[in-house]
Amino acid sequence: MAWLVVRLAISLSLLYTASAVFEDQVGKFDWREQFIGKVRFALFDTHSQASKKLLVATDKNVFASLNSRTGDLFWRHVDKTGPEGHIDALLMYGQDAVVVVGNGRLLRSWETTVGGLKWEAVLDTGSFQAAALIGVQDFVKYVAVLKKSAISLHDLSSGSQIWVENLPDSDTVQYQTIYSGGNGLVFVLGFVPSSHIVIVEYKIEDGEIMKKKSVEAAWMSSLENSCAVISSGNLLCVDQTTQSLYTLPLQSAEHTEMRQIHLQTLDLEVASGFQPVLTSTQPNPAQPPLAEFFLQLSPDHHILLQLKDDLIAPLRDFNPSYLAAFATSGEKTVAAVMTPKNDTACSINLFSADTGRRHLDTTIIYHMDPNGGKPNRLYVHAFLKKDDSVGYRVMVQTEDLTLTFLQQPGRVVWMREEALADVVTMEMVDLPLTGTQAELEGEFGKKADGLLPMVLKRLSSQFILLQAWMAHLWKLFYDARKPRSSVKNEVTIDTLSRDEFNLQKMMVMVTASGKLFGIDSKSGTVLWKQYLEDIKPDSIFKLIVQRTTAHFPHPPQCTLLIKDKDTGLGSLYVFNPIFGKKSHISVPALPRPVLQTLLLPVIDQDYAKVLLLIDDQYKVTAFPSTKNVLQQLQDTASSVFFYLVDSSQGKLSGFRLRMDLSTELIWEVVIPTEVQKIVAVKGKRANEHVHSQGRVMGDRSVLYKYLNPNLLAVITESTDIHQERSFVGIFLIDGVTGRIVHEAVQRKARGPVHFVHSENWLVYVYWNSKFRRNEFSVLELFEGAELYNSTVFSSLDRPHPPQVLQQSYIFPAPISTLEATLTEKGITSRHLLVGLPSGSILSLPKMFLDPRRPELISEQSREENLIPYAPEMPIRTEWFINYNQTVSRVRGIYTAPSGLESTCLVVVYGLDIYQTRVFPSKQFDVLKDDYDYVLISSVLFGLFFATMISKRLAEVKLLNRAWR
Amino acid sequence: METRVRSRACACVALLLFALRASLGHEHIKVQEEEETPEDVKWRSPEEEQGKFRTPEGEVRVQVSGRALVPGVRTQDWISNARVLLDGDAYVGFIREDGGFSVSDVPSGSYVLEISSPTYRFQPVRVDITATGKMRARVVDYIRTSAVTRLPYPLQMRCAGPHHYFIPRETWIWSDFLMNPMVLMMVLPLLIVVLLPKVMNSSDPEMKREMEQSMNMLNSNQDLPDVSEIVTRFFSPPKSHGRAGGGARATVGGAASVRGGAPRRRSKMNTAVTYSE
Repeated sequence: MAWLVVRLAISLSLLYTASAVFEDQVGKFDWREQFIGKVRFALFDTHSQASKKLLVATDKNVFASLNSRTGDLFWRHVDKTGPEGHIDALLMYGQDAVVVVGNGRLLRSWETTVGGLKWEAVLDTGSFQAAALIGVQDFVKYVAVLKKSAISLHDLSSGSQIWVENLPDSDTVQYQTIYSGGNGLVFVLGFVPSSHIVIVEYKIEDGEIMKKKSVEAAWMSSLENSCAVISSGNLLCVDQTTQSLYTLPLQSAEHTEMRQIHLQTLDLEVASGFQPVLTSTQPNPAQPPLAEFFLQLSPDHHILLQLKDDLIAPLRDFNPSYLAAFATSGEKTVAAVMTPKNDTACSINLFSADTGRRHLDTTIIYHMDPNGGKPNRLYVHAFLKKDDSVGYRVMVQTEDLTLTFLQQPGRVVWMREEALADVVTMEMVDLPLTGTQAELEGEFGKKADGLLPMVLKRLSSQFILLQAWMAHLWKLFYDARKPRSSVKNEVTIDTLSRDEFNLQKMMVMVTASGKLFGIDSKSGTVLWKQYLEDIKPDSIFKLIVQRTTAHFPHPPQCTLLIKDKDTGLGSLYVFNPIFGKKSHISVPALPRPVLQTLLLPVIDQDYAKVLLLIDDQYKVTAFPSTKNVLQQLQDTASSVFFYLVDSSQGKLSGFRLRMDLSTELIWEVVIPTEVQKIVAVKGKRANEHVHSQGRVMGDRSVLYKYLNPNLLAVITESTDIHQERSFVGIFLIDGVTGRIVHEAVQRKARGPVHFVHSENWLVYVYWNSKFRRNEFSVLELFEGAELYNSTVFSSLDRPHPPQVLQQSYIFPAPISTLEATLTEKGITSRHLLVGLPSGSILSLPKMFLDPRRPELISEQSREENLIPYAPEMPIRTEWFINYNQTVSRVRGIYTAPSGLESTCLVVVYGLDIYQTRVFPSKQFDVLKDDYDYVLISSVLFGLFFATMISKRLAEVKLLNRAWR
Repeated sequence: METRVRSRACACVALLLFALRASLGHEHIKVQEEEETPEDVKWRSPEEEQGKFRTPEGEVRVQVSGRALVPGVRTQDWISNARVLLDGDAYVGFIREDGGFSVSDVPSGSYVLEISSPTYRFQPVRVDITATGKMRARVVDYIRTSAVTRLPYPLQMRCAGPHHYFIPRETWIWSDFLMNPMVLMMVLPLLIVVLLPKVMNSSDPEMKREMEQSMNMLNSNQDLPDVSEIVTRFFSPPKSHGRAGGGARATVGGAASVRGGAPRRRSKMNTAVTYSE
C-alpha cells in the first residue's frame, strides 16, 4: 500500500509541475494591458506643482489614478458591475478624493497617493442627485449629498454624518443642485417642471432651514445643464424656447422673480433643437464661483460671458469651437478652447478667464485620427510656470474612447485606447510571409513547367535566400556596433512577418464601441485601429475570417457582421486584418434580420470561404456570391445543414439547403418554455483537430471516441428558481438529424452555466444550490470497443447510440469564464482555462476531469495513468498562468494554435487584456528556455580536446614502445 | 486524518451516484440534508450595527464587516490592489487603511467571503445571513457543507502567507553532479585504473625504489596473512591440498622476497591458481 501511495505521489507531483510558469519567464512572452473604460470624471491633482496624479472615474465602475506623465496606472479600484457600483460623483480636495457610489448609497474617501480607502459611509437609500464639497471660512470641511428627498452633510475627515434633513415637498419638487459659497449656508435648488424654482437654504451647523422660497419659472424643464450658479450666489439659467437668460440672486429676499435677458440683446441665438449648456467654475469650494461662464449655443459654438453689476457682457465669442473648459492654477483661472483648424487638426488655445484675452504661445495642435472619432471631452491641467505665467496640458477624449494627453506645441505625451476595456469578440490571424518566404512558397505553388526552368527557379530562389541571409548578417553586424539602447525592435505594420514557429499573430479585436483593433500578439502594440461610426450601442458583433494569409498574393480577409440588437438588421464590414483597411468588395445588402451565419469550407476562385447568412424568412444569402460559388453551392447543397435557435419559444430547428438557395425544415426540437429556457447552444470549434480516435485501456483494448462534428450542446435552465426545484438541463443534439444523443439533468442546480464542448467531451460548471458550491461535471461520449465506420463520420448512418460517462467534482471557487486549450494537431493533452473572479486564470489539466477516474485504484487504471477520484478539484497557485498579473472582470478567453504543437496561444480579455502562451504537455518539441548551452558545448569541447590529447599521448607511447 | 479520508470517500460515492442518476435523467434523489443543530447556532444579531436596512419588499440588507491583516507588512503596501469579494464578485468591498473592511447591502443567504490580493493569500470564510439579518462566520467546507466550525464575527482575516506562483528551475550545478553516488562509484575506480599504473610505471629508478620501499613498509608485518588468502582459505574445499601448500608458499615467498614487487605479485597469482583448482 505504501509504495502505491508513493507512486501516486510521484505521478501527481509530475502532473503538478506541468504548465507552471517559471520565474525567469515573466514578461518573456506574456503581456498585460490594463484599461479603465470611458472616463466620466477626471480631475488633475493641483495640490502641488510636481504632482503627476490624474484621478479618473469611469463608466466601468472603475476609480483609478493615472500618471499624467506616462499614462500608466498608479492604482486602480474595480468596483462591482452594474448600478450598485456606479460612480455618481467624484470630488477632490487636497490629498483626498470623495466618491459617491451606487446611486448615492456609499460615500467613500480615498487617499490618492497610494490608493487606500480612508473611510466609507453608508447613506440612506434614495436616488442620487448631486454632491458638493462645502467650505466654511476658506476651509473645506464637509461634503453634502443631495438625494431625491433628503440632504445629508458629512465630515470630510471621518465620514461621520453631521446631519440629514428631509427636503420639503420632495414628492412634487425635483431637487437637482447644491450650491455653497463658503458663507455658512447650503442652497438646495429644485424645480417643478413648467412652474417654478424652489430654493431652500440650510444652515451648515445643524441643518436648520433658514429660508425657503419659490420663484416663478414656467419655462423650466431641467436644472442640470441649463442652470449654473455664478459670482457670489447668482443663479443663471438659459432657455432655448424663449431664447433668454434668466438671473436670480439666491440670497436676497426681495427678488421674487427671475430677471429675463433676451439673447438677442447680446446678439446671440441658440441653434434650434439644441439644449444650451451653461458651464461655470468654482475653483475653491469655500469661495463663490467666478463671474465668468461659458454658454454653448450649438454643438460647435461657445461663448465666454461675464456677469458684472447685474449685466451680462460677452468677453469672447468662439465660433466655431468644439470644446471649452476652465482650469485653475493658484489664483489664476484660464479657459481652454478647442477650435477646428482644418479637416484633420484642431488647435487648442488658452484664454484668461477674467478678460477673455488670449495667452500668447499657448497653442496646442491636436491631430485627429482619420480612423478615429471626434473629440468630445476636454480636460485641462493648468500649472504655473517659473516665470509665473500659466502653462497647461490637455487630455482629450474622443467618441471612440481614445484618451490623448497633449502638451505644447502638440506633442502627444501618451495615449490610451480605452475602447479595449470592452472587447466583444476577437480572432487571431497568421501574419503574412516575408517577400523571400513568399517567393519560396510561390515556387511550390506554381505548376511544373519542365525540368530546366524548375532547376533555374530553384537556384534563383536559393540565391534570393542567400542574399536575404547576407543582408541579415550585415544588419546584425551593423547593429552590434551601435550602442544597445539605440537598437530597438520597433514593431510596425511594415516589418510584420511570420516567425518560424508562427507564434506571433495578429489579434483582431472588436470592441463594444465599434472600434476595431489590430494588435501584435507578441508585444501588445496596437498596429492599426479603425473606428466604425454609426454603430448603435449594444450591437451584436460576429467576426469571421474568410481568407487567411495562406493564399498569397490574395490578401487575408475578415468580415464583421454587425447586428442591431433591437431590429436584428445586420450589415457587413469587410476588411484586411493585417492592415486594417476596408476592402472594396461589394457586400450584399441585408434587408431582413439575420438569424444565423454559416461559414462553409467551400472556397471561391479567390480562396475566400463562403459565408451564408440566413434571414428571418429562411432565405439564404451567400457572400461572396460569384457564379463559381453559386455553382459549387448547388453541387454541395444537399450536404449543407444548419440550425436555428429561438430561445423565446424554446425551439431548435434544423434546416437543409436546397439547390436554389432556399431552405427546407427537416427537424424541430421544442423545449417547453414554461419549464425551462435555452440559455446557450454551442457546437464544436471548426479548427479543432482530434489526434487519436480512441483511448487505450489498461487491458490493451481500445475505447473509441464518439467524434461527431455535428453535435450541439444545448444548455437549459429551469424557469423555477426555487433552490429545491431549480435544475440545469443538458441536451446533446445532432445538428443534422435533430436526434437527441444524450440528455442529462442536474437537480438543485442553477446557472450561470459555463461550458466547453470539444472532441468527445463536454465540461460544464453550475451552481449547486443545495450545497452552495460550484460543481464541475464532465460528459464523455464513446462509441465502444468497436468503431462503426472508422473512415467517415455520418450523422445519418450511426445506428448505435454512444456510451456516455459522467462524473462530477466540487470546484472550490467561483468561475467567470471557461475555455479549453487548442493546439495544431491535437496531440498535446488538453487543459481547461478557468477565469476566476479574482482575476487569475487557472490552467486545469483535463486529466482531472475524466469520468473514468476510478474510485478504487486497480492495476489497469494505474496502467492508464488515471488519477483516483477525489471529489474536490485542486486549485494550486502554480497553475495560474498569469501569476500576479490579474485580469479584472474576465469576459472571455481566446485560444489559438501556434505552429508548435506544444504551444497554445491564449488571450484573456475583460477590463484588461492578457496574452500568453501555454504548454499543456510542456515544451516537448523545442529546446527548453533553460537549455544549458554552456554545459553542452563545454562537454563537447572537453571531449574533443581530451581525444586530441589522448591521441597524442598514445602516439608518444607507441613510439616509445617501438624504441624499446 | 482518518475521518477526513472517509468523509471524502463518502462524498465521492454520493457524488458519483448523483452524477450517474442525474445523467440517467431519473427523478431527483433525496439526499437527507443535515440540519444544523440548534446549539451550534449562536447567531450574532446585528441590530445595533449600522448599514442594515430593509428594502421596500421587506428583504433585509446587511453590512458584512471585518478586518484583514498581513503580519509584518504595512497596510498601505498591499491594500491598493486587494478587494473583498463575496461569492465571486457579486458583492465587492475595499479595505480601509486600518485594515478594516465592510461590504454593504448584502441580502440574506450564505456567502463565501474571500480577500483577493495578487500577492497575499487569505483563507476564505463562509458568512451566513438569516432572513432577519443575523449573521455568523464559519470555516468553508465544500464537502461537508453543513458542518459548522465557528469563526469570530466581525471577521478576522489573517494572511496565510504569500502566493507561490512559480516553480523553481532544475538547475545544474557541478557539485551536484560530482556528488552523485553513481558518478562517484564510476569515477573513483576509473581514477585508480588509469592513474595507478602510470604512477607505478614511472621510469625513474629512484622513484621505483622508493615505491618498493613504501610497499614493503605497508607489508612490514609479513606474518599477517593476506586478505585474499584468508578468503580463499575460507571458501575452498578442505580436501584441496594444493591450497595449503600454495598458501604456505605464498607466505614464504612474501617473507623471502624483501625486494617486493614482482615476486609478490607472482605469489598472488599462485593463490589464484590454487583457488581455481
